Amino acid sequence: MDDDFQDLESELARLRPIAPPAGLLDRIERDLAPRRPPVRGWLWAAMPAAAALAAAAVLGVRWPVRPAARAPGHAPARAAPAFRPVAVRDILVDTRDEGYVVLADGQPAHRLREAHLDTIVWTDPRSAASLQWSVPREEIRIVPVNFQ
Amino acid sequence: MEEFPENESWKNWFHRHGPKLLLCARQWTVSMADAEDVVQDAFVRFWRRQRGLPGEPLALLLTSVRRAALDIARSSSRRAAREEGAVQDDPGSGPLFEPLADGDDRRKAIESALGRLPPDQREVLALKIWGDLTFAQIAGQLGIPPNTAASRYRYALESLRRELTAADCHG
Repeated sequence: MDDDFQDLESELARLRPIAPPAGLLDRIERDLAPRRPPVRGWLWAAMPAAAALAAAAVLGVRWPVRPAARAPGHAPARAAPAFRPVAVRDILVDTRDEGYVVLADGQPAHRLREAHLDTIVWTDPRSAASLQWSVPREEIRIVPVNFQ
Repeated sequence: MEEFPENESWKNWFHRHGPKLLLCARQWTVSMADAEDVVQDAFVRFWRRQRGLPGEPLALLLTSVRRAALDIARSSSRRAAREEGAVQDDPGSGPLFEPLADGDDRRKAIESALGRLPPDQREVLALKIWGDLTFAQIAGQLGIPPNTAASRYRYALESLRRELTAADCHG
């Protein structure tokens, strides 16, 4: 500014604004901490893979066995695919009413036979390769009848 | 002014500049709590996404702080709270500056005089003295011509000097 205010400006500049409270630093530190994926999300992502493994075990799928040692002079193997589950679909294909049944307590109920097609899709983000696994599933539902 | 050093930790940088950010934030918010919120929002956004941008980090952060403060002021919930006369902190509550070693009366007198300045003069003064911004940068921040920023600064200094002289005479 001009000379008139130099002393006042210097005096103001010597004042030190108060430091932010420790609580503010803690909040910023929490915000800047690396985020971990929520556990529930991880479980959801892992569930189709677990289902696929279980199905493979039931169906007796044989996994290719990797040789114990690589012969010298071999070209390095390409990186193993890293498939991630990206979609799970459950399509209701058909519903058949199988009539009335009587439950153990004497209550009447509808017996419904539903045909589903479960589909799980994995992709490898590095190669954009996609893998789809579909399996039919039958579900029998007993729906108590309520006479009012 | 300084460029942002690549290997500096956020804590070191915030230790040096956090007080300035908070002081300027208090010019645009109605409470200390709001001022802390806008500094937190602006700093976290800056550190995550804007750290590598060209330009002066403090000026960039002050822009973010002001925008965050304006967002808070515009939010309907805050407006409703004000209209209903909800309990709020006094904008002037709490000291603005660290106590002076050689007598604290002068600091209190300055803070009191600052509190009586018109807000548009006080924000220019804060951005110039404690935000280390030039008049051109202040003009960019506030959307006013640089000459207007310089005029407000001068009016603020005149008012302060008048107030402080009067306080000296009475005190």
